[in-house]
Amino acid sequence: MISVFDALVQLVVAFFATVSFAVLFQVPKNQYLWSGITGSLGWLCYLLVNQGYGSVVIASFAATLILTALSRFFAVWRRTPITIFLICGIFPLVPGAGIYYTAYYFIVGDNAMAAAKGTETLKIAVAITLGIVLILSLPQKIFRLGLSKDRF
Amino acid sequence: MENENSPLELAVLAGRILLSNGAEIFRVQETMERIAASYHMETFHVYAISNGIFACGTENGVAHTAEIRHVPLAPVHLGRVAAVNQLSREIAQGKHTVPEAFAQLRKIESLPFTANWFQVLASGVGSGCFCYLFGGSPFDCVVAFFSGLMVCLFVLLAGKKHLSKIMTNILASSIAAFCGLFLFRMGLGHNMDRIIIGSIIQLVPGVPLTNSIRDFFNGDYISGTIRLIDTLLIAACIAIGVGCVLKIASMMGIAVGVPV
Repeated sequence: MISVFDALVQLVVAFFATVSFAVLFQVPKNQYLWSGITGSLGWLCYLLVNQGYGSVVIASFAATLILTALSRFFAVWRRTPITIFLICGIFPLVPGAGIYYTAYYFIVGDNAMAAAKGTETLKIAVAITLGIVLILSLPQKIFRLGLSKDRF
Repeated sequence: MENENSPLELAVLAGRILLSNGAEIFRVQETMERIAASYHMETFHVYAISNGIFACGTENGVAHTAEIRHVPLAPVHLGRVAAVNQLSREIAQGKHTVPEAFAQLRKIESLPFTANWFQVLASGVGSGCFCYLFGGSPFDCVVAFFSGLMVCLFVLLAGKKHLSKIMTNILASSIAAFCGLFLFRMGLGHNMDRIIIGSIIQLVPGVPLTNSIRDFFNGDYISGTIRLIDTLLIAACIAIGVGCVLKIASMMGIAVGVPV
């Protein structure tokens, strides 16, 4: 089990990782903080679920649920397209490592591992897709959370 | 040259800015319809796919058609998407006349990108942070920081030289792998794989993946498919770039490490 200290360090690092992507995608400066929070909470959820269940696919799914819900809430609250939070926040979950290991095992000739890693990468992509789609299907009024009606 | 008094032209310009800067199809069509409705156009129809907008409408009893394509290679600028969104909200509240809104849109269209040095720094920091998240040691992060800088410098240079997207991704990921391998063999860092993963993460197709999912969700299957192909192609390019460097290295007898 990871310690509280480790979890805090991971939160902070994930925050800066997400914000640096916000910079690369030209997100308005006044939204850096919130897109960073989206990304770091999504990552924390990924870590905890991965620890509990030992499955990166389920962890990616759970984390996507959390961060899409957060993005929708911030989108309503900050009156800004959801894209701004979702795209930056999703980056820690996008299977970059999966792509690397698939290529690596393919090159060193371990076809069984390459196939396993390739399948896992695809599964993570499907898990992220399902997570986003599920949360997007919820009615908009859930995410107003007491905010005035003129925000859409 | 656009007719500065035409709501149709205004809607198409707004749609084009949204589309070329990374908005999803649903938002493009909805914003254009909202603008047309705010200026009381008699009829308005729009069809958008990921690299084109087709719109027609009736203004003062005269039917007009406008068609615009955009360059799909344009880099993402979410600030412009947010700005157009804000403007369309104000238009819906009746705050702008058509020429005023045109002037605002032109301003949004020319919103600058962040300074290059800042982008390079951000991608370095991003590479370092991701290296840590994927299990790298602090020492690895410092190495990933520099290797990420190199990748971003190359991507900016490639953009200036109009290098094709496929070549940019293959070469950029080979640079990431080369830097990771080279620095690691120099004795810097503990895990070569974590360093390389950290520096390729800025190339990973997160934007087309997210937009593709959202387009499929909204029923825009053609655009979703185009972006899905984009996603798969970029992922394949990264794998090819990294793979080639590792293969050449292992053929030269250099150990390429064992990932955990």
